Amino acid sequence: MNREMLGAVIRKDLRLWFKNRFLAVITIAALFGYAGIYYLLPSQIDETLEIGVFAPAIASALSAPLEEEGVILEQYASEAALKEAVTEGEVPVGVSFPGDLLAALALGERPTVDIYLSADLPQEFSDLYPILVEEWIALMAGTSMPVEFNEEILGPDMAGSLTPTRDRMLPLLAVFVLMVEVLGLASLISEEITTGTIKAILITPLSTEGLFTAKGIFGVGLAFVQVTLLMLVTGGLIKQPILILLILLMGAVMVTGIAFLMASASKDMMSVMWKGMLAMLILAIPAMNVLLPGLTTDWIKIIPSFYLVDAVHQVINFDASWGAVWSNVLILAAFAGVFLALGILALRRQFR
Amino acid sequence: MSLRRTGVLLWKELTKGSRSFIFILALVVPVLISLLLALLFGTFFSDRAKLGIVDEGSSQIPARAANMEALLVSEFESESELKDAVARGAVDIGMVLPEGFDEQMAAREPAEVDGYIWGESGLDSRAILGTSILALFRDVAGYEPPVEIITTTLGEAQTLPWEDRLLPFIVLMTIMIGGMMIPATSLAQERQDRTLVALTTTPTTLGDVLTAKGIVGVLVASTMAVVTLALNRAFGGDAVLLIGALILGSIMAVTFGLLLGVMTKDTNSLFGTIKAMGLILYAPALIFMFPEIPQWIARLFPTYYIIRPVIEITQMGAGFEDVLPELIVLVLLIGGLIGITAFAAQRKAEATA
Repeated sequence: MNREMLGAVIRKDLRLWFKNRFLAVITIAALFGYAGIYYLLPSQIDETLEIGVFAPAIASALSAPLEEEGVILEQYASEAALKEAVTEGEVPVGVSFPGDLLAALALGERPTVDIYLSADLPQEFSDLYPILVEEWIALMAGTSMPVEFNEEILGPDMAGSLTPTRDRMLPLLAVFVLMVEVLGLASLISEEITTGTIKAILITPLSTEGLFTAKGIFGVGLAFVQVTLLMLVTGGLIKQPILILLILLMGAVMVTGIAFLMASASKDMMSVMWKGMLAMLILAIPAMNVLLPGLTTDWIKIIPSFYLVDAVHQVINFDASWGAVWSNVLILAAFAGVFLALGILALRRQFR
Repeated sequence: MSLRRTGVLLWKELTKGSRSFIFILALVVPVLISLLLALLFGTFFSDRAKLGIVDEGSSQIPARAANMEALLVSEFESESELKDAVARGAVDIGMVLPEGFDEQMAAREPAEVDGYIWGESGLDSRAILGTSILALFRDVAGYEPPVEIITTTLGEAQTLPWEDRLLPFIVLMTIMIGGMMIPATSLAQERQDRTLVALTTTPTTLGDVLTAKGIVGVLVASTMAVVTLALNRAFGGDAVLLIGALILGSIMAVTFGLLLGVMTKDTNSLFGTIKAMGLILYAPALIFMFPEIPQWIARLFPTYYIIRPVIEITQMGAGFEDVLPELIVLVLLIGGLIGITAFAAQRKAEATA
């Protein structure tokens, strides 16, 4: 395989790609766009329930046990101040306890508690707060239930430090970046097949293997550089950078194989588009599952991008190390090899 | 420009063009997304805490829990199924109610319940579920609530549920796929296949071609926008005004699509351009989704004037006078875009000649 010839084909593909300056500029603009989406989303998740309280006699008794459970009580000096805070949207809910609450409970009476709900509060929460208040008072009154709740936490306990949506979205953005570049590469190759450029290149001393190597390097390089840039600007390379880069490289190889397959089965850009959209939808499902947990069951593991998405998600959001994701990396490498081999076989048949 | 020739071209666009991928995409995507969102908002995007229950006996708790608005309740056949659902995050908390649990509660006898908590569930979901489960136990045990609760709603509602926040995005996407993509791709494809040159060497002018393609775009975009609103149960307010606003919005999308089709040399460049402009086109709808972002920013984007009147009419019951300022800007933008497109088409025609 002649290195100079390989380099010449790669340079030609790069020139074709960036010949259209607009296309070159917008490729970078799209990257900024994805990064923009990332930075527009909130960097933290608010897991607390904020409640305004007017409780002249029981303020401390109320707040101590609740704060550990993510309930923040804002104390107000009067019922009027509490009502104003709810009306103005400072707190979504206000609870006004009578001054003699504990004494009344001790006497076995049923005192009245006023709950003020903001009109913005969704209906489901409007129904919830009365239950919450009843339970707190039942606990204060000492009427505990004779039930032992044997709890087991499944998975890492993230309460209080949940992964922000934008970090859950990173694997999805990575899949999009990889797949969009696949569309470009597939349309480039399909155009070369249609116009006969590929056959013209093969008349030169460049072998078929050389051509595939050049196209492979170009495709993998293009996808890998873009997805790496995305990770770089979004902070995705802070934890385990070498591991992340390896996973992304495997992903880039896999999508290049998919691009070869699509190019071999497409006649023009439109044909590439619909096949590409279908592939993108399928490959995005595992990433959607990270964004919306519980969306799917174990069948998701048959989608090759699962191993890319899961590995990136584990490393970025759960500090997973090599030991935790090695099986993902191996399976992803196997998928990448299979897709690349299939893509080359399919394209080779086209050249004959 | 000849009406007869435009009519012939229009018929060709409708019969031949309707087999194209983008045409099908324009018809299918809005329907699919509407159905998908209806499914997602019923469960996955809901703010409600998710409770999973395995009932080993015949407890009343699953039925009572299902009646609680704050909870999304799922029942499972076995403990292993429940554990799997909790581990995947399909439910926040799962509990296994032993046989005879209700009877034990009623008799105030000690009972044990196995529970599973998804590690990634938030503190708020855990607090809501923990309290709700206790309330359910008390309910079954027949405990009287210790206090009488009086609830009062204060202020006026201002926030929008997610379904409503996403609606502008779906409607805008529907209008842009039908209005912008159909004429733009059709024009770029014709240029690539050189059929455009063939056509314009006959008495058919580029104006005839652009008009025919534009009419198809307006028809598809406005029809699908109406269908999308109906599917999302948002076709309300003044129907005539709404349809008028949708048609105007579709015309603007079409003029923009035609401009892109005229300016780009092939479908590759066209899709590259659309990919790059995606954020700018959809920015008003994205800004509408997040009330934390200052809403005036949306006014800086031309597509704001497509979507704002639609939202005002459907979600706020606005009348003609309320949406008139936006409609005036929209008409001005359409006029400007038609002028730029005509100029660009003229230059292209001269360059080709």
